Formats: sequence, structure tokens, C-alpha cells
Amino acid sequence: MKRNRGIAAFVVAVVAAGGLAACSADSSSSDGSVTISIMEFQQTRIDSIKKVLPGFEAAMKKQGKDIKVKLVADVLTDDQFKTKVTQQLIAGQAPDLIDMGDSLVPGFAGAGYLAPLDDYLDKWDGWDHYYPQFKEAMVRQDGHIYALVHDTGVQNLFYRKDVLTELGIDTSQPATWDDLIARLVEVKEKTGGTPIVIPAGTAWGGSTWTEGFQPILGGTDQDYYDLETGKWDLESSGFAAVFDLYSELYSNGLLPVQDLENPNPWEPTKYVKFPAGEIQVAAQGTSGWKFDWGPNGAAPIPDLTEKVDTWQYPALRSGDEPFGWSGLGSGFAIPEKSEHKDEAMLLAQYLSSGEPLAEQLVSSGAAAPRDDLADVKPYADEPKLLQAGEDLQSSVYVPTGDGAEQIAQAIAAATELIITGAADGKEAYAAFVKDATDLLGPTLVK
Amino acid sequence: MTADAIPVASQEPVAPVRRFRRRPLTPAEVMQRALGHTLIVLLALFCVVPFAWLVLSAVDANAGPNVQLPAFSFENFGRFFTNSGTPLLLLNSLIIGIAGTTLNLVLGLTGGYALARFAFRGRRTFMFSILLIRVVPAPATIVALYLIMVNLHLTNSLIGLILVEAVLQLPVTLWLLKGTISAVPIELEEAAWVDGNTRFQAIRRIVLPLVGPGLGAAAMLTFMGIWGDFLTPLVMLQSQELYPLSIGLFRAFSEHNQVDWGLLAASAIVYVLPPAVLYVFVRKHLLHSSLGGAVKG
Amino acid sequence: MTSITDAPASAAVGIRPPSPKRRSGRRTRHSALLLLLLGPAAVLIAAFIVAPAVYSVYLSFTNTQLTGFAARDPQFVGFDNFVYLLTNADFIASIGHTGEFVLYSAIIGQTVLGMVAALILSRPWIRGKGLYGAAILMPMVVPEVVASLTWASVLSSDSSGTLNQLTGLFGAASTDWLQVVPMASIIAVNIWRGIAFAMIMFQAALEDVPAELIEAARIDGASAVQVFRHVTLPLIRGPVFLYLLLTTISTVGAFGLVYLLTQGGPGGQTRIAAIYIYERALQFSQIGIGSAASIILLAIVLILGFVYVRLAKVEV
Repeated sequence: MKRNRGIAAFVVAVVAAGGLAACSADSSSSDGSVTISIMEFQQTRIDSIKKVLPGFEAAMKKQGKDIKVKLVADVLTDDQFKTKVTQQLIAGQAPDLIDMGDSLVPGFAGAGYLAPLDDYLDKWDGWDHYYPQFKEAMVRQDGHIYALVHDTGVQNLFYRKDVLTELGIDTSQPATWDDLIARLVEVKEKTGGTPIVIPAGTAWGGSTWTEGFQPILGGTDQDYYDLETGKWDLESSGFAAVFDLYSELYSNGLLPVQDLENPNPWEPTKYVKFPAGEIQVAAQGTSGWKFDWGPNGAAPIPDLTEKVDTWQYPALRSGDEPFGWSGLGSGFAIPEKSEHKDEAMLLAQYLSSGEPLAEQLVSSGAAAPRDDLADVKPYADEPKLLQAGEDLQSSVYVPTGDGAEQIAQAIAAATELIITGAADGKEAYAAFVKDATDLLGPTLVK
Repeated sequence: MTADAIPVASQEPVAPVRRFRRRPLTPAEVMQRALGHTLIVLLALFCVVPFAWLVLSAVDANAGPNVQLPAFSFENFGRFFTNSGTPLLLLNSLIIGIAGTTLNLVLGLTGGYALARFAFRGRRTFMFSILLIRVVPAPATIVALYLIMVNLHLTNSLIGLILVEAVLQLPVTLWLLKGTISAVPIELEEAAWVDGNTRFQAIRRIVLPLVGPGLGAAAMLTFMGIWGDFLTPLVMLQSQELYPLSIGLFRAFSEHNQVDWGLLAASAIVYVLPPAVLYVFVRKHLLHSSLGGAVKG
Repeated sequence: MTSITDAPASAAVGIRPPSPKRRSGRRTRHSALLLLLLGPAAVLIAAFIVAPAVYSVYLSFTNTQLTGFAARDPQFVGFDNFVYLLTNADFIASIGHTGEFVLYSAIIGQTVLGMVAALILSRPWIRGKGLYGAAILMPMVVPEVVASLTWASVLSSDSSGTLNQLTGLFGAASTDWLQVVPMASIIAVNIWRGIAFAMIMFQAALEDVPAELIEAARIDGASAVQVFRHVTLPLIRGPVFLYLLLTTISTVGAFGLVYLLTQGGPGGQTRIAAIYIYERALQFSQIGIGSAASIILLAIVLILGFVYVRLAKVEV
């Protein structure tokens, strides 16, 4: 009896499994239509893409193309997404269009997993509207473009205007880091807290490099990567100065070192203490206005635009000017092994233009990489995003290529040494050079 | 069942009768008992106290990452079950867990029987190899595993995942059932053959009823292994409608990079329930399963 | 033909199985049956467990990467990866961390506490065995993710973290446990999770130890410790050995719990070998080096396994 029931349960389970598997199988083109798939892994993006997909299908119909789009809505963390997409790209199983962070593109493009988009872009009238510096930034070291960047932002220092004013601290743009550090020390004396958060250490992962270290480095030194040769210059003069800055922030007790060791270090810092006014300055991209602290964001700050404002990064070494750092948020990439590249590109272009783009920009809090969006609603109603769009044209960016992930790893490990008190700036820099040389191998180091 | 005709087979293995004479406890014995009670209470507390946060936060409307007195409400569970897709996650997990465990036990029983009853060249090597090979951490093998599954056209299907999960847990099941079956005297089977049973009839009537404890333990370990696995479904599946709960649990993390602690705790409690229920059923068996039977001292 | 031995079956069940050699055999039918019974399991294990591992062995001799330019044209590099790893301080340190982790959490912590639990619960004078047993089993039943969540709250640096609240009762200041004593923390968590498995294995084994033997030894004046050392332990050597082998293997390969709690930090203090392999293979995409590290790990465990077999003098 028992055994029979067990067998029955097994049969039911297998049948159910088969049914579900069948449901999920690709609906291929029996009626002449083409089905392409697009992958999104963040809920906000999934929501905004869902809204605009019917418009794409209708627009294609008008042109006589029968294209259906399947949204692979896969809510994952960044790490999980990378693990999964890597496997799929290797096996040729990836969706036809993937929305991925720009930092992943060099690795995938270098390996040959992604299709070059240059020919498509040259023929596309929308391409003329992209800001020249982004067109340039999208080019990888082999001279091709592999991802069509659709959202961008400016990385700046966001600060609590309300709290600093109340404490009697100057809120004008600080000219130099010395200037800023003096103010932060003053804040610390008054509040006893740790006034500034900049991504640092291993817990923050790859963002320690992309959102913490690199923006500061790029403002003082743009020679650390050579796009021509594809080599990293670890001896480049800026590294030592930035490590010294981290070390100085640490030794003055200005960084929330314990929170930086939290497995999700952005939580206690950006999502608890900054909204509460206990951390007054945070390195942050444009998405801060929406995704992080906006009314529908992770940790909403009421009356955000009155309480919070931005400074540019101050000058680090003599001769530098304050600057903002361009962030290439994410872009659409097409796998080399996709069978529907043309259709996928049509979708990428549709999603990167006009209202569909405006919709996405507003929901994730990003600035447009192109010049013809300022009048398109709902983007047109967002002064902070429009401002970021303007700032972008004067902001700094250093395109990098193969090896960026290894550099990010070595930077995370070296800054970890600083925030755990194990090394000063000089020692951390030495550790970084050793680590990075080791990770990159001889072909990628100058 | 006809197997009952052989009386010895259906009897529970009876522990030898223990007789303890009633006599006053010596001071040493009193000490010993006091020590025993203290130790076991401490151990139990050590095992249970970490769950305080989980239980308190699940029923707390303002749950945070730490222990606090809850603002009592079942809202978190409500949100868990009304979130679009969550009941499906649970269903998928159950399908994968139950089907995978069943397949695993079928393979384990037949294979375990062969290992217990046949002396063949390479048996020892086989048994140690399948166990030792598990040392290689999953991140190092997942690439190859995925490629194999792609070539078998088994990715993004529950059947493929069930197959892989059942096999990944198979080494321990084989060891367990080999041990349990070895402990069943071959003479019982041989007697059944004499009575005109075929080999398979003998297995069904004699061996199966006696390996219940081993089966129970194997079922428990396998189910828990499948239920808790995260990396394999993450890589093997692509459609959200096929995802199990182990991946869904991370959704509480990924939204805005901000953790919804109450939802997380509630999901975790729901997530823990099936293995806990299974444990209640096989608890007795667990204690009688003789994994040690696989080796001879 | 064979005959039923006159030993009562009830007793025979607990006794070791007869030698497998003592069996009449029509060989051809036997091998067909063997193939039928073991074949499916063996084929599937070969496909899903052995083949990926063999592929790792192949990868370990190449400079294969998953991403970056190096991914396009992997080269055979001989023993370069192994030489690199064995001279790499981080890797050597990670092996050391794994050794420390396995020794203290699995071989000492889980075994001793599991044995203590099994021994106490085998005493007739303990009441509420079911309750204690269930409590000890809870950590094993919960999935890894949940276990790490609960411990993250226990070890939280916040003053409202469970452990800080407990130590606070004694007037101690709040400590960030995962920062200050990271290795001890993950060892404690792994012990917590593994007591139950040890207890189950040892309880089953203790059931097979005849009570008369122990009673007799006690009457002869042996102390409880002496009885355990000279009577009980030798009788349960097999199961203890098997447990040690299993727990060593699963602890060496353990990854999730530590990764979820510390990600190998702070400063690599808890970067056990499995985390090192994960970082190399998936995070930096250097699957060649990651595979070579796995092979080294496998070799170490292989040696350990032989040592166990020798020490325990057991046979499968």
C-alpha cells in the first residue's frame, strides 16, 4: 500500500513537472512570427520594461514585422546574475537581449560572447543623438561596441544640506579634499559619528572600485589604463594619492568602518544612517534621487530635494579641479550566439529611444545618454535627472577594458586592509600592486 | 503482505532486555546525572536560541535584523502568500524535493542492494570514489555540469533539475542503504528463494520491510540536501515559473538592495516547515538507521 | 543449499553481515543482475558527478577563463596552475583555514558534542529525550540560508544582537563577533549545525552495544570514562570512522554557510579553500586555477581518508 502511494506520488510529480517544463518551452515560430527574449534582473527594471513591451510589438506590427517578446524577469542579486549569465553565454543559452551593468561588458566582450553592434548603430538614426563622450566610452579595446548604454548618471558626493546647515558647517562646494576633510572633522567633533561613506573594502564587492575608488582616481589621473594597448599601469601616479586619501579618512575616524564590514554595507550606511542624518556625506550616483532615496526608493527621504544636494568631488592633488564622474549604468547586449540578432537590436533601439527610454530612466533614476530626451515625459518632469544629464557633458570618464574585474578585486582587498587598520595608504598600495599583478597576469600589466 | 508468513522478518529488532536493580544512587551517580542533565540542557539551548530572531521577526510588523519584542502580526506571512509567484515557488520546491527524493531512493535501493550483496572488483574503489569526489566544491564543477545538461537538452526544465539533484545526493544514500541492507542477513533472503520466491520477490518481501530506518534516514538527508540547494537551480533554470523557494528567499534581499526582514523571516519559517514535518515522520527511523553498517569494525 | 542459521533473526539483525564471498554464484546471471541494479545509479553518477569532476581535472592543466580575452583561446599549461597555487600565500593560507575549520568544528566540536548528546540520551534516567533530540536536530533541518540568517542576527555587532544581549547581562560591552573573532564564530556555527548528524550516527551505533557488556564492566568497578574508553569506543569504531570521513568531506567542501556569513572576510581571515575556489572560478572567472585548487583539495582529503581507514582498521 505505502509503496503504491509512493509510486503514485512520484508519477504525479513527474507529470506535473513535465507539464510545467512543456509550458516553459520556447514557442517557436509556427506562424512566421519571431519570438525573442530579453533578460532583466532588477524588479524596478522588470516593471518598467513590462510597461513598454506591448508598444514595441505594436510598432513592429506597423512595420510589417511579427516579433513577439518574452521577458525573462529574473529577480537576482548582482552576483547571482553574473554567475548565471556567464554560464548561459558559454553554453549559447542566453536570452537574445541582456540588460547588464556596463562593468560586466569588457569581460564578456573580450571572451567573444557578445555580438559587436557597430554596424547596427551606424545605420541607426538614433545613434547621432548620443553624446560623443558616451559613444567614445562604449568602445572596447578592440575598437567595437558591444553594449548599447541606455542609462547613465553622474557620480558625486551627496550631502545632507539640512543637517550640515544646522551644525553650522559650510555647505559650499569644497575645493580640495583637505578642505572637505577639515569640515568632516568638525562634524565628527560635534556629533561623534562618522560623517562620510565611500564604498571601500571587500564586502562592497566590485562597487568599491566602480563607485568608490575609481571616480576619485579618474579625477586626478587618467593614465591608469591605456585603451590602445589594453594594459593597466599600476605605477600610475594617482593610485598612491587615492590610497593615501582612504587612509587619511580612516585615521581621522571619518569612515563607518564597522558598517563597511557588514555583508550588505550599503544598508546601515546609505539606507539607515544617511536618511537618518547620522552620515552626512555619501558617494552616490544619480540614482540616489530615485532608486535609493526617492519616494518609491529603498530608503525614502521625505522632501529629498530640500534636504539633500550634491557636491562635485573635490580636487585631490594640486592642479586638479573639482569634478563629477560619469557612470555608464547599464546597457543592452546581444549574445554572439543569438539567432535573432536583428530583431533583438530593433528591441534595443526601441527601448533606447523616446518615451520607452524616458519611462526606464525615471523609474531607475538615471540620466539620458542622448540629447533628444529633455522634452520627453516623464523624464522632462525630473529636474534633478535633467541636471545630471547636463552635468554629464562636463564630467570625467576613463574607459577601461579587460582586467577591470581583477583590478576591482585587488582594490577591494587593499582598501579592506586600510579600513581594518591593517595597513596605511603606502602599504595598501604595495599590497594592491602585488595582488593586481598576480591577478592580471603579464599580458595586461604595463 | 505475504512476507508476514516468515515470522522472523517482521519483528522489530528488540534490544536485549535491560534490567537495572533498584538500589540507592551513589554520590558519584548523583553527580553524574546532574552533570548529564546540565550538559544536555545547555546543548539544547545552544541549538535553539539562535532561532529566537527568526521566530520573533516573522510575527513582527516592524521586524529588523536583530532580536526585539515584536509588534505582533501575521502580516509578513500574509505578504509571503499574496506576493505574486510565491505559492508557485513553494509548489516547485515540493515537486523538486519529492520527485528528486523518490528517484534518489529508487536508485539508492537498487544500487545499495547490489553493493551489499555482490562482491565485484572495484566495489571498494567505487564506494570511496563517489564519496571523496564530493570534496570538489560545486563552484568548480558547475560549468561542466551545466554544459552536460545543455547537451542533454535538460536545462530549464524541472525534470532535468530533479534528475541532477537526485544524483548529487546519491553517494550518501548509496552508503546508507548499502549499510542497512548489509545488516539484513542474507540467510533470510536465501530462505525465501528456497520457498520459491524469485530474487526480486525476495527483495520486495524480505529486504524492503527491514530497511525502513535506512530509507527514512536517506529520505531525510536527500530531501534536505535538495531543498536547501541554491546554486544548481540558479544555474539550471531560466524561467521564473520553475524556480524553487531557495532562490525566492533571496528576493527579499534583491529588491532595492534593501532587505525586507519581516518577509525574509516569514519566508524562512515557511521554508523550514517541510523538512521539519518530514523530520517528525522519520525521527524514529533516524535513530535506528545504521549508517555505520556500511563499514565493518 | 543454504540453510537458515539457528541464531534468532532478531539478534542477527544487529550483527554484522556475513562475508559477501560466501555465496553460490551463477556468475553470468549475477553480472546481468548487478548491471541492472547498480547500472542506472552508476551511469547517472558518472554523468553528473564524475564527468564534471574529470572535466575539472582537464581544466586544471589549462589557463581557461570564463570571461576576458583569455577565454577565447585556452592553452594547455602543464603544471603551471599547481605551481602557482602552491607558491601562492593566499591559497596556502586558505588551506590552513580549511584545516583549522575542519579540525575544530567537525573533528573536535561536532564529534565530541554529538557523542556527549548521544551518550546522555542513551541513559535510561534522562526524561524528555524526544524534546532534547528535537532541539538538537533543529539546526540540521534548516537550510543553509536560514541558518546563516539566524546566526547573522546572533553575532550582530549591534547591541541588540542576541549574543551581545546575552553577554550584556554580564556587563560586557557589545562586540562585533564576526569581525573580532571571525574564525571562532564560523566554527561555532558549523558545530551548531553538525551536532545532530554526529548524534544520530553515534546513537545508532550505541544501540548495537550490548548493555550487558557495560553493566559487567561497571560491576567490575570501571568508571564511566573507563567503560567508554575500553568497552564502548572499540565497539563503535566503524561508525565513528565513517562519521569522521563523512564530516571531513562535507566540511572541506562546505561553502554556503561561511560565504553567507563572512564572504571570507574580514581580510581573508575566514577564506577557507572552498571560498578561495569560488572566488577564482566564478568571481574572477579563472576556472583553470579554481579547478587546480579543487584537485589539490581532493588530493589532501584522499590522503586524510587513507589515514582514517588505516587508523580505524575498518573495511567496507
